[in-house]
Amino acid sequence: MALNLRQKQTECIIRMLNLNQTVINPVGGGGGTANEEVYKILIYDRFCQDILSPLIHVKDLRKHGVTLYFLVDKDRKPVHDVPAVYFVQPTQLNIQRIVLDTSRALYDSFHLNFSSSIPRPLLEDLASGSVNSDSIQRISKVHDQYLEFVTLEDNLFSLANKNCYVQLNDPSAGDKEIEEIIEKIVSGLFCVLATLAVVPIIRCPPGGPSEMVASLLDQRLRDHLLAKNNLFTESGNFTSSFQRPILCIFDRNFELSVAIQHEFRYKPLVHDVLGLRLNRLNVKGEKGGMKSFELDHSDPFWMANGLLEFPEVAVEIETQLNKYKKDVEEVNRRTGGNAGAEFDGTDLIGNTKHLMSAVNSLPELTERKQVIDKHTNIATALLGEIKERSLDSYAKMESEMMIRGGIDRNELLSVLRGKGDKMDKLRFAVMYLISTESLSPSEVETVEVALRESEVDTSAFQYVKKIKSLNISLASANSASRSNIVDWAEKLYGQSISAVTAGVKNLLSSDHQLALTRTVDALMEGKPNPESDSYLVFDPRAPKSTPGSSSSHLKGPFKEAIVFMIGGGNYVEHGSLQDLARSQQPVKHVIYGTTEILTGGEFVEQLDVLGKKMGLGSSDIAPAIK
Amino acid sequence: MAKVRDRTEDFKDSVRRAALNLGYDESKTATIMASFILHKTRERSPFTKASMKTLESIGALEKFLMKHKKDYLDLRRTTEQERDSIEHEVTVFINSCREQIDVLKNSINHEQSSSKGWLGIRSDNLNADTIAHKHGVVLILSEKLHSVTSQFDQLRAIRFQDAINRVTPRRKLKSGIKNVTESSNSNNFQSRGNSEVREDNEVQAEPIRVQQQVLDDETRALQVELASMLDAVQETESKMVEMSALNHLMSTHVLQQAQQIEFLYEQAVEATKNVQLGNKELSQAIQRNSSSRTFLLLFLFKYKNCRRFGNGSIDIGTALTSPYLCLIH
Repeated sequence: MALNLRQKQTECIIRMLNLNQTVINPVGGGGGTANEEVYKILIYDRFCQDILSPLIHVKDLRKHGVTLYFLVDKDRKPVHDVPAVYFVQPTQLNIQRIVLDTSRALYDSFHLNFSSSIPRPLLEDLASGSVNSDSIQRISKVHDQYLEFVTLEDNLFSLANKNCYVQLNDPSAGDKEIEEIIEKIVSGLFCVLATLAVVPIIRCPPGGPSEMVASLLDQRLRDHLLAKNNLFTESGNFTSSFQRPILCIFDRNFELSVAIQHEFRYKPLVHDVLGLRLNRLNVKGEKGGMKSFELDHSDPFWMANGLLEFPEVAVEIETQLNKYKKDVEEVNRRTGGNAGAEFDGTDLIGNTKHLMSAVNSLPELTERKQVIDKHTNIATALLGEIKERSLDSYAKMESEMMIRGGIDRNELLSVLRGKGDKMDKLRFAVMYLISTESLSPSEVETVEVALRESEVDTSAFQYVKKIKSLNISLASANSASRSNIVDWAEKLYGQSISAVTAGVKNLLSSDHQLALTRTVDALMEGKPNPESDSYLVFDPRAPKSTPGSSSSHLKGPFKEAIVFMIGGGNYVEHGSLQDLARSQQPVKHVIYGTTEILTGGEFVEQLDVLGKKMGLGSSDIAPAIK
Repeated sequence: MAKVRDRTEDFKDSVRRAALNLGYDESKTATIMASFILHKTRERSPFTKASMKTLESIGALEKFLMKHKKDYLDLRRTTEQERDSIEHEVTVFINSCREQIDVLKNSINHEQSSSKGWLGIRSDNLNADTIAHKHGVVLILSEKLHSVTSQFDQLRAIRFQDAINRVTPRRKLKSGIKNVTESSNSNNFQSRGNSEVREDNEVQAEPIRVQQQVLDDETRALQVELASMLDAVQETESKMVEMSALNHLMSTHVLQQAQQIEFLYEQAVEATKNVQLGNKELSQAIQRNSSSRTFLLLFLFKYKNCRRFGNGSIDIGTALTSPYLCLIH
């Protein structure tokens, strides 16, 4: 039984839209007659809008009877005769707004749904507010939905906690602030687990935010399971063969390089370079206008080829285009070609039959063409950026650095003085810091000088330097993959797609595994492994009295895993975990989640902020005398 | 599926506590709590009632379609007439549903236009949100009807496909038979010609046989005529089937294009409206600009005059106007 987070969340939302009654099958049952309240109005706040937008489109909303949808902040007018479904976060502001709405009697009845559990004090505020305004009769129901997370794909979710890394690593942060953040993360994770209706076994590396999150989550689950009607009572069908998944919690500092590195695969490239957000993308079209594309599970090309290297994607697009052209030609031939022959009455029937089948296949053909067009547009935009910033050489050199553990000084300086915008150079410099095993201070000096020459703000660089000097482990070295060396490709400057296709082979070694993937693999296998043995184990279902000695099922091989990264993650990690899951025999399932999905640039900006907070490095220092 | 936490009980507790805090007495608290259980049945507006009814009828239509789907598609269970009657009923039903939806739509527009008569003040019932909601309801209804009719269209397409498939082999068979009859007819003609020659030699001897021959010839001629008429009729029938299939094709698929064209047209209309508004704004801005320029000139002129007739003391006006005067000179 594969865990499909997106499907489960969509089901919960649809149930909410049907006023939390069991969904009546329209074909078999009453078709709307039994349910008096068919038409409703949906009201949400900004956070919940982000939750809803990757999952449901506007026309699907209409299928469930939603006629209008508004932001809770907007000024709204009364609409009679309809129930209103509210889907908001439980905050003070939202509660005040709801009380205002009920007192103004905007709608007939109010069905309130909160994205996570509404705390007692706010519930009492709501109660007293509505009693005061004498509008209790309008509030029909209050529900906790436990849906406070954004699901982008079947197995990718994010908690949309902004600047989490900065807040957790801030040297000036007090205990209370850290506790607040941990609380928010735990509540988000709890919602995910409640939606999946599983109680996993939790493992995390000792120390740091991951341990805090794991222990608090364990506590929360334990308390919850003690209640009689808890959310995790398993449906009777699967108890026999139901195996619990494993939840692995990591901190960003476990492997910093992945968040910063330049990548050359399709999905990470689109996210990094073109700014993919909530599965939506805005690209400058050929005629100069901005076009908006949607890239999600309904796009077969995206799903199939998202993790390919960029040149392979270009080849794939061409193949699909040729196939499409061939199909169209065949359709044309069968229907139109007969016009040349003498107009014979007997052929007319055959013509009509072909015409009918051709027309039936038209929608499918147009859809295929649209998908191909969309990806051609995206690939063209990407290619422009890649050529301008020579991202391919950045990606190649960074992966070389990671594998080799260092880089030639001249190469380093030539890259820093070459193409690419400021963020690219900064990322490259930070990667150099992380990957080089033994840093010589003089080299670091030259790098800093080169950065300042290019007018790059070096706070992030200074921050990472300081962290490294404090000997906090940044990246588990790629010891396992040192033996696999890549074929070096030539440098590519200003060439077209076909040349890129032809010239580049194996830009990144496919065996280069992330430390994260290796660790998750080890944890899922359950065999003794020096890396993962020190990891803590939490089992919310086990009675508290049994200390450390683990029962066999706690460490056995797991078929399903949920991997959570605190501080920020990206599509690279997600893709690598999917590769791992698919390559196993039998196929395993891994869900990847994080506090927020960040591009390399956004993450380095957070490092920047941290550097400035620590008072390191500024860009005002005059460059050294040449 | 994951469970959801119903907090209504907690909410009720909080309400009771809040009521007590505010000093409500027992009876008032009781009425408040009772309102949770007994929901006041609000009087629904005629619009809502009508839309509910329409929804019910569309649901009934769908059920009807489901019930007769098997009968309609299976060739052996129904005759052509029964299938035609089912189609007819469904069409009538669809038309009535469509009319109901049109009535609802007209009622919205009518309300909108009639309210504008009253000094442009809209009553509470007719604010923008309510109108948008009503349009939304009409849209949902028409989408539902559209889905049901597209299901029906698919059934009809299958029926046409079957009909064409049935006609094609018959035509092939028919054309084969036609060739055979033609050749046999020509043989007959030839043999008849031969026998006629022979008969001419013996014409006087057998007048009865000649009569018989003539009758036989007439019968054969009638037969040939009938056969050719049958051919013609069957050809016409197959052509009719084809035409209806093509018609069906055009109506469903070209209609989709028509909708898109209509949409583009509406967008173009909106664009022209925006351009007109923009033009108006521009002309207003130009007017304002020119009027302000004249005002400024008058202002300067006035100050210049004052200065001329004044005693030459420096005041703010001159200080202000001097740069402008420099420009003018």
